Amino acid sequence: MTTPLSRRAFLATTAVGVGLTIRFPLLGSGDAAAAALYEPNAVLTITPDGLVTVHITKAEMGQGVGTALAQIVAEELEADWKDIRVDYPVADAKYGLMLTGGSWSVNWTFDALSRAGAAARLALIDAAAASWKVAPGECVAAGGVVRHPATGRSLSYGDIVKRVPITRTFSEEDLKKITLKKPAEYRVVGRWTPRLDIPEKVNGRAKFGIDAFLPGLVYAKVAYPPTREGATRTTLDDSAAKRVKGYVATVALPELVAVVATSYEAAVKARDALTVGWDPGPNASVTTETIFAKFAQAKDDPSLQAWHEQGDVKGALGGAAKTHQATYTTDYVAHMQMEPMNCVAFFRDGVYDIYTGSQFQTFALGTLAAALKTENKNIRLHQAYLGGGFGRRLEPDIIVETALIAREIKRPVKLIRSREEDLRRDFYRSATLQVLKAGLDASGKPVAWENTLVASHPGRRWGKDFVDKKGLDQFALNGADHVYDIPNQIVRAIPVDTGISVGYVRAVAPNYTFFAVESFIDDLARLAGKDPLEYRLSLLGNAPRLATVLKLAADKAGWGAPLPANTARGIACVSAQEKKTPTWTASVVQAHVDPATGVVHVEKITCAVDCGIVVNPDGARSQIEGSLLFGVSNALKERATVANGQLVQSNFHDYQVLRMNEVPEIE
Amino acid sequence: MATLLINGKSRTIDAAPDTPLLWVIREHLQLTGTKFGCGMAQCGACTVHLDGHAVRSCQITLAQAAGKKITTIEGLHPEGRHPLQLAWIAEQVPQCGYCQSGQIMQAADLLARKPNPTDAEIVDAMSGNICRCATYPRIKRAIKRAAQQGA
Repeated sequence: MTTPLSRRAFLATTAVGVGLTIRFPLLGSGDAAAAALYEPNAVLTITPDGLVTVHITKAEMGQGVGTALAQIVAEELEADWKDIRVDYPVADAKYGLMLTGGSWSVNWTFDALSRAGAAARLALIDAAAASWKVAPGECVAAGGVVRHPATGRSLSYGDIVKRVPITRTFSEEDLKKITLKKPAEYRVVGRWTPRLDIPEKVNGRAKFGIDAFLPGLVYAKVAYPPTREGATRTTLDDSAAKRVKGYVATVALPELVAVVATSYEAAVKARDALTVGWDPGPNASVTTETIFAKFAQAKDDPSLQAWHEQGDVKGALGGAAKTHQATYTTDYVAHMQMEPMNCVAFFRDGVYDIYTGSQFQTFALGTLAAALKTENKNIRLHQAYLGGGFGRRLEPDIIVETALIAREIKRPVKLIRSREEDLRRDFYRSATLQVLKAGLDASGKPVAWENTLVASHPGRRWGKDFVDKKGLDQFALNGADHVYDIPNQIVRAIPVDTGISVGYVRAVAPNYTFFAVESFIDDLARLAGKDPLEYRLSLLGNAPRLATVLKLAADKAGWGAPLPANTARGIACVSAQEKKTPTWTASVVQAHVDPATGVVHVEKITCAVDCGIVVNPDGARSQIEGSLLFGVSNALKERATVANGQLVQSNFHDYQVLRMNEVPEIE
Repeated sequence: MATLLINGKSRTIDAAPDTPLLWVIREHLQLTGTKFGCGMAQCGACTVHLDGHAVRSCQITLAQAAGKKITTIEGLHPEGRHPLQLAWIAEQVPQCGYCQSGQIMQAADLLARKPNPTDAEIVDAMSGNICRCATYPRIKRAIKRAAQQGA
C-alpha cells in the first residue's frame, strides 16, 4: 500500500515535535449578531441551552480520552462540568492531524485545548462586560456563569450565546499570550471525574463501529487469500453462491473478491459457496523457523545501520575488563481487540459515507481517496467508539475494502470480519531478534553497549513518510535507546520483510526493546555482583524521575525481603515510547515457578508511574492496570506462529489471552 | 419465520432456522448491546440469558431459541439500573467497553445463583469472559459491590 500523505506531517510531528501542540485553526469570528450557537474554534461549541460540546478528535478506545480532553477544556473555560458533552466529529482537515496513539493525546494537546477553552472564556467575559458596559477586567467567570461582582449582575454562558453578540476573536499570537492557570488553581484537571462514556457502556447503548445501521443495509463477506501477503487470485466461480437465499451480488475487483447478501449469515453462506483459485505467491513456505533463520542471517549483515550512536563503542569494548553478550527473541503478537474489524460504507452521488472506529482518520482519508481515486472532500468518515484499538485501528484496511465494495453496490454495505479473519488479517507486532553486547570496567560498570536489533518495520509498508532517511521506522526501535548512563552506545537496526505483515501493537517497540534491555541489565548486574536495583540506580544519573519511581516501586514491593521457595521478584524500569515523553515507569513483579512443570505464575505486580500532570487520576490508574495485565498476557500467554505464509492460530482457543483466573494482585 | 420472546416482547424473525441467535439479536433486531467476539464460545462477548441462564448466543440457533425467554443487556433492568450496572459505574469498570455487556450478563447469572459469591466462585464464573483491556480487577470488585448491595 502506498501512502497518499503528501506532506511529512506525521514524521515531522513525531520525530522532532514531542511536546509540540497541535494547532486548531479558528473557524472565523463569532457572529456579530447573537447566534444560534457559539463556535469559537474547532474545539468546542456552546449552545443557548448552556451545554458545552467538546469535539474530540481522538479515538475513544477505552483510554478515557474524551473525558480527559473535555476536562482540559472545561478547566480553562470555567464551565460547569455537568454542562459538558463530547462528540466525535466527522474527520476534517480543520482538526489537524487526527491520530490516536503513542500515549500522545493528553500530552500533545493539553496546551492547545487549554488555550481554546481560555479563549472562549475570555470572549464570553468580553461579551457580557460589553452588554453591561463595564470593563471585562471587573468580571469573573466560574461554573459557566460570568459575573460582575460590583453590581451583582450575572449571565450564564447559555444566555450570553442566546442574547449577546460575541465578537472577540483570537489569532495564533493572541492564543499564545493567554496566561493559563497554574496547577494549584485546577478545579477539574486532576480531580476524580467519572468517565463520560461509561454509563452507556453498561446498558448496551454505546455505539461501536459494528453497531452502525443504515436503511437498506446489505452485508459483504470477502474471500481472503491463503497467505498473509503475496497471493493472487487465479479463478473465480460464484455459481453456487448465487443460489444462496439472500444473495445480492459478487464483487470481483483486482483488490478483492466479495459476496454481498441481504443478511450477515447469508453473506457467510454465499462467500463459503464461492470457489476461488489462488496462487499463494512467494511466501507459501514461510514459517516461524524460516523467519528466525532470516533474522539470524540479517544480524551479521555488515550494512547494518546505526539508528542511535554515541561515543566509541569499538574502542570501549576493546578496552573493557569483561564483555558479555546475550541474544533475545520475541514472537509475533496479535492485537486481538475484542471488536473484530468492521465498517459500514455507502456510496451515492459521488460521496462516500464511512462509519467505523479509526485511530488515524488523517491516514484513512488519504489512503481511501487514493484507493477510490477520489478526493478527501468526497469522503465523510463518521467516528464510533472503538471496541479496542491497541494500534489495530491505525490501519485503514477494512475501510478500504468496504468502500471498494460500496462503490460497486451503491447500497449501504456492512463488512464484519470473523475472528478468524480478523486474526489472520492482523498486522502483528513483529517477531524480533536482538543481540546485546556490553563491555564492563573493572568495577562492573558498563562502558560500552551494542544492540543489534532485527525486526520488521511497519512504517516501510505505510510509505516514505513513516520511515527516516535510512528507511528505518522509529516505532520499531524506540526504547533500544534507553536512558542508562553508558558513555559508548550503538543500536544497529536492520529491517527485514518476512511476508508477514507487521503493525503497531500497544506500546509497540518498547515491548520487545525494554524486554531485552532490562533482561540484559540484570545479566550485567549479576556479572558485577550487584543488586539489580542498586545497579540500575547507579546508571540513572540522567533520569532522576525514573530513579525516583524505581525506588518507590522497590520500596512498596518490599524489595529484598525474604520469599517462599520457588518464588522471586524481578525489577524493571522504562521510559515512555519516546525518551522525550515525560513518563517514567518502574515495576516489581513477584512470580512463582512450579519446579515440576515450569509454569510461571505472576502473583503480584507493584508499579510506580510518574507521568506528570494527571488529568483524570482514576482513568490513568485504569490504563496502568490494563497495560500491566496486557503485558503479562503478551509475555506469558501469547505467541503467534507462522506456517505456509500465514498465522497458524485462528481464534481465542489457540491464541490465548489473559483471563480472570490468571490475574495477579496489582499495587 | 420464527417467534422470539426477547426482553419481554414477542418478535417475529424472518431468518433461516440455523442462524446463530447472536446475529438475529444484533443484526435482525438491532439490539446491538450484545456483541460478537469469536463465534465459538471462547470469549463471552455475546452472553445473553436464555430462560434465566447465561448462554453464548453465538452457539444457539434461532430454532433452538424459539419459544424460550431471552434477556439481553437492554432488558436486564428497565432503566439500566441493575445493581451490577450501578456497581460497574461506581467502580468505573469499562475501558473500551465492548465485552462489558457479556461480562454483566454473565455476572448477573452468577449472582442469581449465588448472591454472595466467594472470590474463587467469581473467578470460576467469569473466566470464560475475555476482556482484552484487562479490566478484570475492577469487574471482580464490581461484582462484590453489587453482591453486598443485594443484587
